[in-house]
Amino acid sequence: MKKLITLIALTAITGVYGQVDRSVRPTAGTAPVINIKDSEVFKTSNGITVVLSENHKLPRVSFNMVMGSSPRIEGDKAGVNQMMGQLIMSGTNTRQKDALDKEIDYMGATLTADGSSVYMSCLTKHMDNGLSLMQDVLINPSFPESEFTRIKKQMESALLSAKASPDEMAANAERKVNFPGHPNADVMNESSLASITREDIVKNYQSVFTPNGAYLVIVGDITKENAMKLAEKYFGNWKGTTVYKQDFGTGLQPKGNRVIFVNKPGAVQSVISISFPVNMIPGDKDQIPLTVLNSIFGGGAFGARLMQNLREDKAYTYGCYSDLQVTRDGSWLSTNGSFRNDVTDSAITQLLYEFKRITEGYVTDEELNLAKQSMAGGFGRSLESPQTIARFALNIIRNNLAADYYQNYLKRLDAVTKEDVLTMAQTYFTKGFNIVVVGNESVLEKIKQFDTDGVIEKLDAFGEPVKDMKPADISADDLLQKHVNAVSMTTNAKALTKKLKKVKSVKKSMDLTSAQMPMTITMTDVFMAPNKEATKLEGMGMTFQSSYYDGTAGAETNMQTGKKAMTDAEIAAKKKSEGLIPEMNFKKGGMQYELKGIETINGKDYYVLFCNDGETEMINYYDKTTFLKYKSVSIRKNDGETMEITVIFDDYKEVNGFLFAHKLSQSIGEMSLSGEVKSIEFNGTIDPNMFK
Amino acid sequence: MKKSFISAILAGVAFTTFGQEKVKYVEYDLPNGLHVILHEEHATPIVAVSIMYHVGSKNENPDRTGFAHFFEHLLFEGSTNIKRGEYSELVEKNGGALNANTSQDRTYYYELLPSNQLELGLWLESERLLHAKVDQTGVETQREVVKEEKRQRVDNQPYGSFMENMFRLAYKNHPYNWVPIGSMEHLDAAQEIDYVNFYRTFYVPSNAVLSIAGDINIEQTKKWIDKYFASIPSGQAINLFRDFENLSDADFMTKYGVEKKHFDANNFMNPKDAKAKALVQKYTAMKNEIPRPQPIFEPINGIVRDTVYDNIQLPAVMMGYKFPKETDKDFAALEMLNAVLSGSTSSRMNKNIVEKKQQAIAAFSFAFNMEDPGMGLVAAIASNGTDVKALEQSLDEEIALIQKELISVEEFEKIRNQFENQIVTSNSSVAGIAENLAQNRMYFGSTELINKQMERYMSVTREDIQRVAQKYLTQQNRIILYYLPKAN
Repeated sequence: MKKLITLIALTAITGVYGQVDRSVRPTAGTAPVINIKDSEVFKTSNGITVVLSENHKLPRVSFNMVMGSSPRIEGDKAGVNQMMGQLIMSGTNTRQKDALDKEIDYMGATLTADGSSVYMSCLTKHMDNGLSLMQDVLINPSFPESEFTRIKKQMESALLSAKASPDEMAANAERKVNFPGHPNADVMNESSLASITREDIVKNYQSVFTPNGAYLVIVGDITKENAMKLAEKYFGNWKGTTVYKQDFGTGLQPKGNRVIFVNKPGAVQSVISISFPVNMIPGDKDQIPLTVLNSIFGGGAFGARLMQNLREDKAYTYGCYSDLQVTRDGSWLSTNGSFRNDVTDSAITQLLYEFKRITEGYVTDEELNLAKQSMAGGFGRSLESPQTIARFALNIIRNNLAADYYQNYLKRLDAVTKEDVLTMAQTYFTKGFNIVVVGNESVLEKIKQFDTDGVIEKLDAFGEPVKDMKPADISADDLLQKHVNAVSMTTNAKALTKKLKKVKSVKKSMDLTSAQMPMTITMTDVFMAPNKEATKLEGMGMTFQSSYYDGTAGAETNMQTGKKAMTDAEIAAKKKSEGLIPEMNFKKGGMQYELKGIETINGKDYYVLFCNDGETEMINYYDKTTFLKYKSVSIRKNDGETMEITVIFDDYKEVNGFLFAHKLSQSIGEMSLSGEVKSIEFNGTIDPNMFK
Repeated sequence: MKKSFISAILAGVAFTTFGQEKVKYVEYDLPNGLHVILHEEHATPIVAVSIMYHVGSKNENPDRTGFAHFFEHLLFEGSTNIKRGEYSELVEKNGGALNANTSQDRTYYYELLPSNQLELGLWLESERLLHAKVDQTGVETQREVVKEEKRQRVDNQPYGSFMENMFRLAYKNHPYNWVPIGSMEHLDAAQEIDYVNFYRTFYVPSNAVLSIAGDINIEQTKKWIDKYFASIPSGQAINLFRDFENLSDADFMTKYGVEKKHFDANNFMNPKDAKAKALVQKYTAMKNEIPRPQPIFEPINGIVRDTVYDNIQLPAVMMGYKFPKETDKDFAALEMLNAVLSGSTSSRMNKNIVEKKQQAIAAFSFAFNMEDPGMGLVAAIASNGTDVKALEQSLDEEIALIQKELISVEEFEKIRNQFENQIVTSNSSVAGIAENLAQNRMYFGSTELINKQMERYMSVTREDIQRVAQKYLTQQNRIILYYLPKAN
């Protein structure tokens, strides 16, 4: 009997379940309503606005103290706030950095900070200890001199790598042209960094970090009663300056199209950014439909128009995207992509065509749905992080948004129509554009056509205007001669020959450090008369890389890829610059070179010499008064990839009758190194293994 | 200052109970054997849809290794109703994200979707289970991808072959002898039929756990699960259905003696024709036998030494010990033991061997969490000029010390804090919950263990840690592997 029932049950089940047409794909249900609880808002006795978002799902809690002041224009101290933000965690009046780190680790807590906020999260039961650390960092940072020096050095290296990154160069130019006279246009550069003192950092801290106008966002497993008590206990006694409020406007909308060029010698690709400021703050009624438009136009999805046209259809690029940034202090839209030199103009034409096309007709239903769905998906997934909820709560209060703004985000997203999208395009995409091109000068002529007044503005890596080069007042050969004499501290060829005869070998040891590396690398450079040279890079007991050239052959050995002999072409190229002073052999060796003119960098004049040995293109800068080399940029092309190495020479000192730079800064691609010469030895013993 | 702070924390901890937020769920079996676990929570409008298949590299044929992992790639190729390459695209187009991974014991697939796309996720996973595209074209495409993965993750990684070597030496009879990435020669040698058979054997409802966590309505979810999963034939009828879809009329007739035309793809289980009906019933009654190795314990007899010459600059010492299976009561204590030895800046091996003696640039110890009796490792990469023998001795000294003396109270509390944090965080996302639920069910046979983790770790005592160190880190029975730089 029992068996029979089971059998009937089974048959019934198969009967019910059996029928399904699997070729019919499920459709989405209605957009879900989000359960973001309303936040509680209250104030501490000293005026901090506390935003509490209770969430007892897990026994965790986070506190984010966000300053309420507007950003300030930093001008010739550009970068000071960024640097202060990095330093605020470097120790307090009672805790050194190590102690601070240790106490945080013991609780398994997180404590981080930037130029306008301090954030702490931990398990609820460690809350009191966590808050006392957070309070200490927030109120009593000591900005130790040693840490100031260390971070400054780190930032110097970062600036060097910024110069090698066309994307960063484009971003810097974008900020400058869209937001003149606005804090967004503050771009840290070498001279602004150099001028920042520890006192500037302390002053910046005192003016930014103040309870007046500040927000404390608390998220997680804590009651309102406890939150009020703890906010008062840890932050209620804090005192500071008044809050700084300033409206800097919404950026400069260009009249017609502006073309801005940033020179990157030897680039094989042009980075093209087309941008314009958008008059919008978070929560603007146009924000959601404009974001949908951006997503269809060039957002992350593979089917977006820019990607379809420029990659799939034209194959001009590997990727091309557009990005909409909406902030309280300046908003903008920009497209970005890297394109082969020879299609730079065609790419701009297509980008402008897409900007125009989307204003001329409705997007398709498929486009609209894809954009809405992927935005909804990303929004939904982001909500799992308590930090997202905290950000929303803060946005609501800072921007006076409706309390249910995020609660109804998906509904409002779902309500966006193709008519809305067209309206957005016609409203925002029909004014002028700032077209930034970072690339090789060879593209300059081709991009003139896109500038409404035909005058291209030229900016440097940090967005500062570039003045055109002055014509040179000597010949290239004269320059080379003067340089060789300067290095050898001689005045004529005879004296030079005599001096060089005495040189059998030179061994130079240098320490290389980098913000991107946890250790010091030792570099040994060896020269043996008349034309042998070798280099070795070592650290932590390993040889990372070594190379040699003995006048007829050579090789490079790399830890990862092993040993590789120099090719015939490489040997032929090397012959053109062999010797103790490479410039000595330029003419005799058949190096191609051309003196381009005089360039002014940071107020000083330099001769700019373009050289090419057949393998590598080099641009050398020689000081106009001393004729010593200031900088050398080498560009090597390999299978369509370019590798750029910039070396800046500094602190020239005499050793054995020759001038040697004792300080070097070097950047290879995105990596930057600082070098300090430890010893230079003449005519000592040379390890023969270096030439193997 | 420091000291008083830490004792303050200790004092606080002593009075706190280690509560764990309970993860609620319902679970049941479908008639075809698929185990379903549903966790409903509405904090975020997303849902994790996952299937864990109880097949890993240990289920492989010794001359067809790498299959389980290969399927992790192959099963994104599409299905009868999903075009090649469309699987991932459908998820992305609908605001979702997806991925998969494979271990010695199981293969895991998941999608993270907006909650109004739950039905899509269920359809996608049911398509993968019922009739994924397992054919030559897909095999060839994915073979290249997997080879690239092996080059990147194993061959090109310094010390990348250590797992392969350790397991090879530690297991003679058990299939843990090889690792999930397997052999590229085996994958090359395999024919289409080998892949098809692997799919037919292991990708059946009774060998899988469907775990769903997130913003769902349990009743509605059950209905959709009935629609897409309960409709998947039971027993061998699933392979009858696969043949119905893949074989020609003539081949089907030859194999089964019934004409294909008597079946309806949309209602396969209920044909009108009597012979067809009998066939379906016959195959439904035939069980899916899943080949599983015996979970034998193979002790290491004596000290097994071996040397591997690799493309490395710095030598390494790796010592392998037999550990119990993950479900063993000693496993939690072993994991805590490992945390005392390594893993944080202040852990013993880091402090003593890396920082003080500077004999190593890194030192680590860990346990492989495995379904059958597994392994633990204690290892270090030598600093330049350090003799591997001396390094081996230092590692042994650390082990001897933790066997001889109880760990300090302060160390113990730090480890407990670390584990507590880890356990709390492991259930902070619906993706994490879905996987933890499935894993507890599949390995431990008890979904409920998800709520016992805190208890499991917090009940470990200092004495337990000392005891498991003595029991498992055996001086006389272990594998000692040296990695030395290859001569140029």
